[in-house]
Amino acid sequence: MTYIGQLSLQLSFVVTIYALVCYYLGAKNEKYQLIKSADTAVFILLGLMLLTSTALIYAFFNNDYSIEYVYNYSNRDLAPFYKFSAFWAGQKGSLLLWALLLSLFGVIVLLQNRHKNRILLPVVMKVILGVTLFFISTMLFSTNPFEKMMGGVIPEDGHGLNPMLQNPGMVIHPPTLYIGYVGMTVPFAFAIAALIKEQLGDIWIRSTRRWTLFSWMFLTLGNLFGAQWAYVELGWGGYWAWDPVENASFMPWLVATAYLHSVMIQEKKDMLKVWNMSLIILTFSLTIFGTFITRSGLIQSVHSFDETTLGYYFLAFLAFIMIASFGLVIKRFPALKSKNSLDSIVSRESSFLLNNLLLLGIAFATLWGTLFPIISEAVRGIKITVGPPFFNQVNVPIGLALLLLAAICPLIAWRKATVKNIQKNFLIPFIFMVIGGGALVVLLPTFDVFAWLAFSFSIFLTVTIVIEFYKGANVRAKQSGKNILNSFFSLINRNKRRYGGYIVHLGVVCCFVGIAGSSSYSTEKTEMLKEGEEMNIRNYTLQFEKIDYVKENETKEVITAKLNLFKDGKVLRQMKPEKQFFNKQQPVTDVDIYQTIFEDVYVIFSSYSDDLKTGTFKVFVNPLTAWLWIGGWIMALGTIIAILPDKLESSGLAKRYNRKL
Amino acid sequence: MNKKQIKFAGGSLVIVAAIIYLISAGISKSSLYYLTVEELVAEGSSAYNKGMRVEGKVVPGSIVRKDEKMELTFNLGKNLSFVPVTYTGVIPDMFKDDTKVVVEGTFSSNGIFKANTLMTSCPSKYEASKEEGHPGSKG
Repeated sequence: MTYIGQLSLQLSFVVTIYALVCYYLGAKNEKYQLIKSADTAVFILLGLMLLTSTALIYAFFNNDYSIEYVYNYSNRDLAPFYKFSAFWAGQKGSLLLWALLLSLFGVIVLLQNRHKNRILLPVVMKVILGVTLFFISTMLFSTNPFEKMMGGVIPEDGHGLNPMLQNPGMVIHPPTLYIGYVGMTVPFAFAIAALIKEQLGDIWIRSTRRWTLFSWMFLTLGNLFGAQWAYVELGWGGYWAWDPVENASFMPWLVATAYLHSVMIQEKKDMLKVWNMSLIILTFSLTIFGTFITRSGLIQSVHSFDETTLGYYFLAFLAFIMIASFGLVIKRFPALKSKNSLDSIVSRESSFLLNNLLLLGIAFATLWGTLFPIISEAVRGIKITVGPPFFNQVNVPIGLALLLLAAICPLIAWRKATVKNIQKNFLIPFIFMVIGGGALVVLLPTFDVFAWLAFSFSIFLTVTIVIEFYKGANVRAKQSGKNILNSFFSLINRNKRRYGGYIVHLGVVCCFVGIAGSSSYSTEKTEMLKEGEEMNIRNYTLQFEKIDYVKENETKEVITAKLNLFKDGKVLRQMKPEKQFFNKQQPVTDVDIYQTIFEDVYVIFSSYSDDLKTGTFKVFVNPLTAWLWIGGWIMALGTIIAILPDKLESSGLAKRYNRKL
Repeated sequence: MNKKQIKFAGGSLVIVAAIIYLISAGISKSSLYYLTVEELVAEGSSAYNKGMRVEGKVVPGSIVRKDEKMELTFNLGKNLSFVPVTYTGVIPDMFKDDTKVVVEGTFSSNGIFKANTLMTSCPSKYEASKEEGHPGSKG
């Protein structure tokens, strides 16, 4: 099987080059036969990638420790679920997953565009295949997943999967994020095709709107799954630490979010073409950049990776993409220049521009902070790092401005807002915000200005959106004579894009509430307890019962502390934080969390005495953390609604096509 | 440029300037020197009482734990050139002899490094270790 995997990887390299050449010659000489043959090659490529992946998964299940990658990320006792996920636990498998997804997306793009975009498509496929070729090359020439163990020895058992990766969160987090990353290749490929073929209208944007939303949704969820994994598995009480690896996946998300908003201006007003091109190029480049900084060892991160030459492949590829893409933008600059201009500085359009500036501001600050050690070393000769305080100081105010902007944006008219229009629309949400904000001053345990602003703006935004829904549904109810609930659903159904967007914004509000609550009002306490002793935190009591020792299998031993959790004297449940030992090595601490929508009680079993009679526990009470995860799911729901086929959109598109014909 | 464009350009400039101000203020307020333990030893007394992050390996056999007080002392560096470190808090799982760690804190004038965070990173493994004592998001 290893041999088959290796062979199909090599074949896929050849097939990709074949397809590239055929698309090139076929489009140049207008030979339909060649293009058709290239299309077939794209299908074959997917088959080969599936075969390669199957071979690797087979090796994991067959305990084939002659393969270095399998040896390093698995062992005989590993649960089947994690044997499967070990596929992407390391960088070699991650590269394979990337190539597999990209070849799958390539096939989907071909199927979607059988009867349209015939001019753009050969170029689109060339870009997608070019990127695939890069990933296949890195595997063949730098980090081959089928590499044999050094010296040809076959070990009895594998090294085992890092226990921290043996968590459901870690099984879904990487593929989710990769789907998002890889999906962004599609709009990027269409953008490049539009530039090359001088089809600079918004056809490329409309053709890839769903791809962009789909990828964005997966990026959103991927980031949140990562945060959730960090929260439940890493056991330091938080979920986000502005680590370079986290920043690397956050930056493309920010730029993609800016892009999602600014393309609406191009669709409506035929403006910002250069800007949109730049944003999608930047989004794609950042996905490659993220892999580069984390894999090159250039940046000190608590996540450490094998330092291989791989990073430099990525650097070269990144440089090529950026120079080639922005070169194209400059070449087409005269044609991209807009003939229209914005009508007024107080308008929906200009609020979109502001939104873009703020999102890019956060992205830039994050990039700057991440690269600062390198920059300072290059400029001043000393390495200076900036920690989480830097990112919070800069990004929290910008983030709040963004939240406020999202709150007032739907209230400002398109084109030009009048004072009267603003007065009328602002009144109700503003009153709610003042009352709610005032109440919070009294209700909040301590006054924290950033948290207070976040809660107040959240009230404003929520009320704004509720009014939008109510108004729309009310009008429909009057027209159709049906009840308001019925009208509410038909309202969303009629304009999925707009109302889906509002639902995404509601999700964002939940995330802000969760972040503000958990970062500003968290309490922590550490105590050493003997059996039967209690500790108090806020209005909770933890009574330490005992410590249990269990040997689960040959390689895994578990020490579990049992504590009874009480709130205001009433028993809630037993908390069981653990220490797990794999191969008698250093322990892995497994926290236990009691989660409600109001707050989490987060218990870490930090150490114990040799006779197992005494334990030391660190306990956090983190308010509102659950809302971050809830917000993520609401954002996903809103995105799905916005992706669904829309009557308004298709009739609009049909009109445009007819007019053009 | 017409009047409207000037207004837009001016508005954008103000925002860009505000963001740049936030970044530069943030950098000067929260930056920390990043040194290897060899560099810290070379700096000697000139590095006293400054906040910094120091990277190095734990000298084998130097770890002394006082679990009841959650106190920890160890030497960072090599056998003959090292910096003694004190730390109070939860000790990361991966912490042991000869591992690479990063400590954040101040180098006091008695030559002892007082760490308020202790981070370990596990070499050669993907997505290694973020531990207790990781600088959290509660900055």
